[in-house]
Amino acid sequence: MASSSTSLKRREQPTTRDGDQLIVTPLGAGSEVGRSCVYMSFRGKNILFDCGIHPAYSGMAALPYFDEIDPSTIDVLLITHFHIDHAASLPYFLEKTTFNGRVFMTHATKAIYKLLLTDYVKVSKVSVEDMLFDEQDINKSMDKIEVIDFHQTVEVNGIKFWCYTAGHVLGAAMFMVDIAGVRILYTGDYSREEDRHLRAAELPQFSPDICIIESTSGVQLHQSRHIREKRFTDVIHSTVAQGGRVLIPAFALGRAQELLLILDEYWANHPDLENIPIYYASPLAKKCMAVYQTYILSMNDRIRNQFANSNPFVFKHISPLNSIDEFSDVGPCVVMATPGGLQSGLSRQLFDRWCSDKKNACIIPGYMVEGTLAKTIINEPKEVTLMNGLTAPLNMQVHYISFSAHADYAQTSTFLKELMPPNIILVHGEANEMMRLKQKLFTEFPDGNTRIMTPKNCESVEMYFNSEKLAKTIGRLAEKTPDVGDSVSGILVKKGFTYQIMAPDELHVFSQLSTATVTQRITIPFAGAFGVIKHRLEKIFESVESSTDEESGLPALKVHERVTVKQESEKHISLQWSSDPISDMVSDSTVALVLNISREVPKIVVEEEDAVKSEEENGKKVEKVIYALLVSLFGDVKLGENGKLVIRVDGNVAQLDKESGEVESEHSGLKERIRVAFERIRSAVKPIPLSAS
Amino acid sequence: MGTSVQVTPLCGVYNENPLSYLVSVDGFNFLIDCGWNDLFDTSLLEPLSRVASTIDAVLLSHPDTLHLGALPYAMKQLGLSAPVYATEPVHRLGLLTMYDQFLSRKQVSDFDLFTLDDIDNAFQNVIRLTYSQNYHLPGKGEGIVIAPHVAGHMLGGSIWRITKDGEDVIYAVDYNHRKERHLNGTVLQSFVRPAVLITDAYHALYTNQTARQQRDKEFLDTISKHLEVGGNVLLPVDTAGRVLELLLILEQHWSQRGFSFPIYFLTYVSSSTIDYVKSFLEWMSDSISKSFETSRDNAFLLRHVTLLINKTDLDNAPPGPKVVLASMGSLEAGFARDIFVEWANDPRNLVLFTETGQFGTLARMLQSSPPPKFVKVTMSKRVPLAGEELIAYEEEQNRLKREEALRASLVKEEEIKASHGSDDNSSEPMVIDTKTTHDVVGSHGPAYKDILIDGFVPPSSSVAPMFPFFDNACEWDEFGEVINPDDYVIKDEDMDRGAMHTGGDVDGRLDEATASLMLDTRPSKVISNELIVTVSCSLVKMDYEGRSDGRSIKSMIAHVSPLKLVLVHAIAEATEHLKQHCLNNICPHVYAPQIEETVDVTSDLCAYKVQLSEKLMSNVIFKKLGDSEVAWVDSEVGKTESDMRSLQPMAGAASPHKPVLVGDLKIADFKQFLSSKGVQVEFAGGGALRCGEYVTLRKVGPTGQKGGASGPQQILIEGPLCEDYYKIRDYLYSQFYLL
Repeated sequence: MASSSTSLKRREQPTTRDGDQLIVTPLGAGSEVGRSCVYMSFRGKNILFDCGIHPAYSGMAALPYFDEIDPSTIDVLLITHFHIDHAASLPYFLEKTTFNGRVFMTHATKAIYKLLLTDYVKVSKVSVEDMLFDEQDINKSMDKIEVIDFHQTVEVNGIKFWCYTAGHVLGAAMFMVDIAGVRILYTGDYSREEDRHLRAAELPQFSPDICIIESTSGVQLHQSRHIREKRFTDVIHSTVAQGGRVLIPAFALGRAQELLLILDEYWANHPDLENIPIYYASPLAKKCMAVYQTYILSMNDRIRNQFANSNPFVFKHISPLNSIDEFSDVGPCVVMATPGGLQSGLSRQLFDRWCSDKKNACIIPGYMVEGTLAKTIINEPKEVTLMNGLTAPLNMQVHYISFSAHADYAQTSTFLKELMPPNIILVHGEANEMMRLKQKLFTEFPDGNTRIMTPKNCESVEMYFNSEKLAKTIGRLAEKTPDVGDSVSGILVKKGFTYQIMAPDELHVFSQLSTATVTQRITIPFAGAFGVIKHRLEKIFESVESSTDEESGLPALKVHERVTVKQESEKHISLQWSSDPISDMVSDSTVALVLNISREVPKIVVEEEDAVKSEEENGKKVEKVIYALLVSLFGDVKLGENGKLVIRVDGNVAQLDKESGEVESEHSGLKERIRVAFERIRSAVKPIPLSAS
Repeated sequence: MGTSVQVTPLCGVYNENPLSYLVSVDGFNFLIDCGWNDLFDTSLLEPLSRVASTIDAVLLSHPDTLHLGALPYAMKQLGLSAPVYATEPVHRLGLLTMYDQFLSRKQVSDFDLFTLDDIDNAFQNVIRLTYSQNYHLPGKGEGIVIAPHVAGHMLGGSIWRITKDGEDVIYAVDYNHRKERHLNGTVLQSFVRPAVLITDAYHALYTNQTARQQRDKEFLDTISKHLEVGGNVLLPVDTAGRVLELLLILEQHWSQRGFSFPIYFLTYVSSSTIDYVKSFLEWMSDSISKSFETSRDNAFLLRHVTLLINKTDLDNAPPGPKVVLASMGSLEAGFARDIFVEWANDPRNLVLFTETGQFGTLARMLQSSPPPKFVKVTMSKRVPLAGEELIAYEEEQNRLKREEALRASLVKEEEIKASHGSDDNSSEPMVIDTKTTHDVVGSHGPAYKDILIDGFVPPSSSVAPMFPFFDNACEWDEFGEVINPDDYVIKDEDMDRGAMHTGGDVDGRLDEATASLMLDTRPSKVISNELIVTVSCSLVKMDYEGRSDGRSIKSMIAHVSPLKLVLVHAIAEATEHLKQHCLNNICPHVYAPQIEETVDVTSDLCAYKVQLSEKLMSNVIFKKLGDSEVAWVDSEVGKTESDMRSLQPMAGAASPHKPVLVGDLKIADFKQFLSSKGVQVEFAGGGALRCGEYVTLRKVGPTGQKGGASGPQQILIEGPLCEDYYKIRDYLYSQFYLL
């Protein structure tokens, strides 16, 4: 199947290919987390997976390395889910680059994508001067995005793809791409654990040839979901019981909904907490509730059963909070606020306000990107820098309880073992974590048939696939199954990556194409005797048959079995033939001949003598031309003994017989090339075969 | 040879009966659709009963009775046990349709063909697929891929494509090429040249379909005209199919016009239906999903429609003109029938039919022209028993109960005797006379039985019964007492508790009324009386069937141009008409089998696979034409390492072949092309094109139907010897590829 690029370099004959090259290049998320964007190219088809931005950077620096590729060549762009680091550079890519391919995402992703990015634009106005895109770009991008349902197979330019449930967040998908039989699975962010509202990631039906898989959690193992939920509720319960405030910085969408479900249920089961308010400070999350209520089909059975009774996303103990001004900060409370990284916005404002009181707590509920404040405070520094530039002591408790729905090591390794892909490409993980994961995975696949790669951004991974091209011979051509040595000739029709061979007259039966015959009829003024034409034609053409026209009873001639010359009237003759290059040529010369007869008779006699001479000259000319063309192709060509041409290329010698076209050489490749070249040259200088086909 | 395909209609050919067809692909038997009519006529299912056990898979195409009504009965009674495949909406709405059918029937008759449990069982194991999901069948069907595609007509409605070895069998009935408010048009036209197309001729003779806008206008005008004079409007509808479109039209119109007349949607499952439909946005038209994506407006959040699930709610509604959509469309059962009888004699009222009623039903009778003045209707009603009847019933029940109890006690005694006997046999060292033991039990037994709690039966052999005692002996080893680590594991607090109990009824998400009807065990009986109903209300029929009309059907089939065509589901006349049309214009193999007549539509296509060697392909130059590429190949057959045939380049010179011109010339397009090149060009008589002054160009030979299935084109160009001639010929050549 695949052979590494190094082994290819060792081969000395570049002519023998090992298959077609497949390139995978991460433009983002290569040995890092954030700005997921992976480029893939195989057999002239180019695919981009995801189009995110890096949450820790701003402006152009946050984009993936789009300048590594030519956006106009991308056929398909597939977005796995709505998170900023997977989808947020889409408006930029669609509106500000030359990209004109097609974009796909699932229904739920598309609905949330718009809300999320509109919000993102508003939030980042605070800190970012050079906006990558504005709301208008987002609205425009909505028209270009097409939707795909889970398991639905879509074909674009011969690229087939479909998606599987990925867990992680609502609408998250894993994409399987099939190009000419080579399958590539891109997992995006996925989780194999079912939670309160989402299904676990599916195990694809087919094993892919390449698996591009996330490695966020590295070699970590997650605690069981119930223990995590208990820790979470215990921390909150004890903090509020002591009169403290709990801040939960979270992405507005995705895990936040899961946490709200937990809190609402916990409050319902603990009446003593009834008076302690829970806020979710995200108008965005509020807006997205309609989406969560609608796409219950993509959630798990649990939520669908609950939905039958009442909507689990209508919370009884949780109220929305629109801005910090509405918030009366008295007494214990629980606030879930965006953004998750504490970069700016409401979560940061609350953090600045609460961080120095040790009664308070901050729960970081998910994976934090390197470079954000949330990541910094996990290590519990003594002091933190506030938004206004001052430093303050960090006294509040900081808990890291990961609810991030990323597969942990156990899930990743079982997933890969089930699929057994021969090539694994790790993306979306910190470099160190990734290396650890790679090492550990190596021990899991000791047989050595599995390659595990961890390309950095813009580093290409090359693979070679011997994609066999299979054709189906159908119709009349297939009536008899041929044996070795038989010849097969017909029209080869390629559609996408499927090939069919058929007889030309059945083209319209098996494909949407059709064939045509063009009959031409031309009338020429000619007043002379018809017999003269026949006489002249016989001098030039080998085959001239005379007959009489059935309708009019007038004499007719069939030249070279192709062109019919008929006497239409006293003053006209007509030529009729069916178009093809040779017939056109025969007809042209017939026309010339007829015109010459009517002009002057004696001249032809002179021409006849010339013709004999010129035939010899022609012969010489032809040889010269053949020689010149061969020299231009092969360089060292000499006339050897016994009239054969001796051709030398890179120390290999070949002898060519000009008459028969036979080639003798020890080097089979050279022999083949010369034979083909000579045939083409000969057919160019002597186009008309002596016998009609 | 190709894949063997046989088609056997089981129901629904040469008439409008429900659909049910057996399609066998290489010995794998598909039952496509499993329909029944609103009369539940078991004689229709006879052909199915003969083959039910041999079926390997069932495919369902639409969520209405005609397409899936017989599924519960066939599963229960006919031995059908194959897996069922359908889209999520077909599964869900089909289930609701069957509930509604059952409950409507149960109200008016002692319906016993199937029960709610049978419906649940039949739908429990439906494998749900999404549109264009290629599902590889497991086991016996290895190698067969099935996929549903958008059909239009009803939510989730599917065209089925069955593929084996690259050959397609397409089943497309009741499709709609027109886009509607809540549905996209069918994608049937995207399949070209399948091996077999099975389609219906239902609308083949139906041609003058009115434009959508005009039809909607007439529809709404008719309704509002009757409402304004104080009349009521009844629309007999199906449970969860076409009614969705009607609801949207009314909803939209009501909010535009600001009407205050109430609209009621009355079926046994109306609120569940709309709840589910609200979550099926992915399956609806682009405009609906787009409006949700951009503004989160769920089109089925109905503001003007009140959902009702029983008739009393309607009776209690404030008086005044109203619109009621009620099931069943056939008026054979359901709320629609009751309402019709109530409203029929008021000339202000309107009964508006939106589809042709099933054959032999009340709806069909009323749709005949001229409409009947009187109809004889048998009205049946389920009433609770009262008075003497109730007493008689209770007595009967008590008697049965007593008998049952008696039998049970007899059985018990037998058991006791038996166990007693066995005890006797295993009689151990006890040296007590067995006879005395027996006496003791015999005399004291009943007394103990009264005292002892349930579930504890004293062994009859014991002298004095006592509660059992289990000696909890611990085991010891050299380390002390043997412990079970599991006893000390801290159990995770079960956070899911709340949810576990909430979803008791997984599939049967029923409305209260439904549930009460299900749980209602009060004795009841069915009483019938015959009425003569004077039909003085207006009767109007409009076409909201959502099916393509005859002309579109023909052009659709021509576009698809299957190699073989099977026609089903239409009256004989329509079937014959379409058959002749297709024979003449589209393809030479058209079949219209009778019930239980098997037609063999195995394609007589020869085919074999070859590998294209790299050497050959590097010398092939493709030319692009539309979305495919063509090239001429001359090759020699060789073998690959894996013993597969492969094509290698010819060793010797290839013998020249007759050149082929590939391309599809449209005279009109060519005319435009020529005039863009500055050639004077105009149409002359007989489809000829006069180019310049002297040259004419025309297509000769049999003019092909759209799709070019009839053979190569013949083009004739003639003219005198002149410069123009050669110029135009060059232009003509530029339209083709020469291979």
